[in-house]
Amino acid sequence: MSDRTFAVVGLFHNATDLMAAIPRVRAYRLGTVEAYTPYPIHGIEAALGLRRSPLGGMVMLAGILGCVTALFFQWWMSAVDYPLVVGGKALFSWQAFVPIMFEVTVLFATFTAGLGMLLLLNKLPFFGHPMLSSQAIASVTRDKFALAVEADNGTLDVEAAKTALRAAGASALEVLFVPAEEPISLQSQFRTGAGILLSCAVAGYVMYWAIKLFPVVPPMVHMEDQPRLDAQRASAFFKDGHGMQQPVEGTVARGQLPYLIKTPFEAGEKLVNPLPRSGPVLQQGRVVWNQHCGVCHGALGNGVPMLTAAYGAKPANLLVPPIRDYPDGKFYHTIMVGKNAMPSYAADLTEDERWAVIDYVRALQRAQNAKDEDFK
Amino acid sequence: MNASRDASAGVFPIMAAVGALGVVASYFVAEPARFWANWLVWFIFVLTIGVGCLFIVALGHLVAARWSVPIRRAPERLSGLVLLALPMGLIALLSLPVLYPWTRPEAALKPAIAGKAPWLNVPFFSIRVLICFALWMLAYNIFTRGSLKQDKTRDPAFSLRARGFAPAFMFIFAFSITLVAFDWISSLEPEWYSDIFGVYLFAGTFLAGLAASALLVINLMERGRLPGVRNDHLYSLGGFMFAFTVFWSYIGFAQYMLLWYGNMPEEIFWYKQRIEGPWLNVILLLAVVHFFVPFFALVPKDRKNDPRSLRWIALLVLSAHFLDLYWLIVPVVGAKPPLSWPELSFALCFIGLGMLWVRRSMTMGADMPIGDPLLQEGLEFRS
Repeated sequence: MSDRTFAVVGLFHNATDLMAAIPRVRAYRLGTVEAYTPYPIHGIEAALGLRRSPLGGMVMLAGILGCVTALFFQWWMSAVDYPLVVGGKALFSWQAFVPIMFEVTVLFATFTAGLGMLLLLNKLPFFGHPMLSSQAIASVTRDKFALAVEADNGTLDVEAAKTALRAAGASALEVLFVPAEEPISLQSQFRTGAGILLSCAVAGYVMYWAIKLFPVVPPMVHMEDQPRLDAQRASAFFKDGHGMQQPVEGTVARGQLPYLIKTPFEAGEKLVNPLPRSGPVLQQGRVVWNQHCGVCHGALGNGVPMLTAAYGAKPANLLVPPIRDYPDGKFYHTIMVGKNAMPSYAADLTEDERWAVIDYVRALQRAQNAKDEDFK
Repeated sequence: MNASRDASAGVFPIMAAVGALGVVASYFVAEPARFWANWLVWFIFVLTIGVGCLFIVALGHLVAARWSVPIRRAPERLSGLVLLALPMGLIALLSLPVLYPWTRPEAALKPAIAGKAPWLNVPFFSIRVLICFALWMLAYNIFTRGSLKQDKTRDPAFSLRARGFAPAFMFIFAFSITLVAFDWISSLEPEWYSDIFGVYLFAGTFLAGLAASALLVINLMERGRLPGVRNDHLYSLGGFMFAFTVFWSYIGFAQYMLLWYGNMPEEIFWYKQRIEGPWLNVILLLAVVHFFVPFFALVPKDRKNDPRSLRWIALLVLSAHFLDLYWLIVPVVGAKPPLSWPELSFALCFIGLGMLWVRRSMTMGADMPIGDPLLQEGLEFRS
């Protein structure tokens, strides 16, 4: 305990007495008048003459900064660094960014509010407030209201302060001194912080090697790790060690006729469309077209689809010669083995679906190149 | 001061009369859809202020709020606008064949509309409108008339009765304001649907009620008729306005973003015709006056405390609510926002009528609910 005075404190029995006393004590102009109350009292900031807290402005600035930061990051990630078309939207789609901008605005603002109040304005961590070691603190945290005249620039006229407080109705007057040294010095605070950081680092390092060297319990099980046989993987179940087995010699799986034709010309000559151009077949063809073909070739088959902007390849226009005049078999061959950038669709479509979609292509071609009798 | 007030008293009948002439003329000259769209906008505007004020009164009773008791007479008086909205709404029923596609015979050919026929038909629609009005008038009778009676009787039993009815009114309010949104506004385009639309209109309704109440409170405060009401009460009104400015924007944007993401033809057409062409200017203006300006204006504490600032903000919020309704309803009439003498006549007529109505209601009871036992506590409120 040093001999420097920190404050003179007096107690009041209720908030009304305290509020009445504040202007009377302040009128003496002896030092900073500070109140300690068990709960917040409306209007006490104005009575004590506290300056306006700068926290609101700080929070506003941080919020705007968060909003702009989120906008910038999303623009940079989605439109500059890794441009990826999602759902056919523009790369810079501000509508999709707004929720994140809102979240980051709130994040920055709340962190600034919390940490700004505790660290910047309340100057925490601060363990050595003389009020904490006073007689009054026990009552103040329960049911009494304390008013303190605190020393400005280290000087306080103790007797005058006592007189002022007594005149304002305070009881149990008490003089508080500045502690000789802070109970928890800056050095020890630093040591504690460094110790916590070091323990974290050591614990992390130990855990890393413990899990790596003694894999008793896996730290987490991913969904992809399942007791399941993946394609193209080995398996001890079969004698030859292959997970995937060859078909039995001399057999053909249902719907999996081998395709032995080598060239489009051969296909055009040999293959005949077995399906009639009837209503149900065309309906089926339209479904297949819209699910598989129209995405690139366009709903009309004219090679002008919704999504080419993302790919750059130019899908074929099926409505103009020479493609228009290809025989059905040549279309079938293209579906089976692909052509240019188009991959094979053999695995995606059944035999019937392939021929039905070819019939539907014929209908699309006829729709854009109608003959006179079609108009009758 | 007195002279100028008397002069302004004479302005409103003249406004209403001149405007009414213009409204009648536009009925015969302007195309019917435009006339009825204007009528609908003003009907919903007057109605939402009235119902919004009923909600504010009920909210105070529901939570037994102290702070709002001294200023409660303002929303109580303004809730009388529901009575003005009743004839407007009954006349608006005539707009059904003009504005609402589901009343036309060809609606039966569109499966999306024909499927809604059990709900969207003229008799049932009219019944719903009448039920809503009956419920609002019931609430008006209980809350406002009861409170006026309490001025004379000083009977604390009314406060308990109102507190008992308030929870029921919350259900009535949620149900009826959603019906207003779905029936009167959303069914202008019956193929369109949005679950959140009722909440969107609720946000605007509450804001409109708050803004109108704030205007009335500030007006009375300046004339010294609310002794004891302080800026702390205005601060709470302003805080509410701030909160629901954000809420309105949140709901409005949530609805837009979901429909924009889905981009389904049966949903997005509603926004397409409201953000394309000249309507883009309207929605940009709406974003500015309904969110950006009120939001930043209401952030500082001084702005909510200060009657002069708050009055301008409240006026802006009220106008923004009108623009919101204009943007919701009028695009069904055409791709260009109409603004000419018919619109100005409607504005003159209904602002004049509404002000006359409010002036008349200013004579109802004392300026504060002097019979309410919580009044003293309310006056002691500090924010």
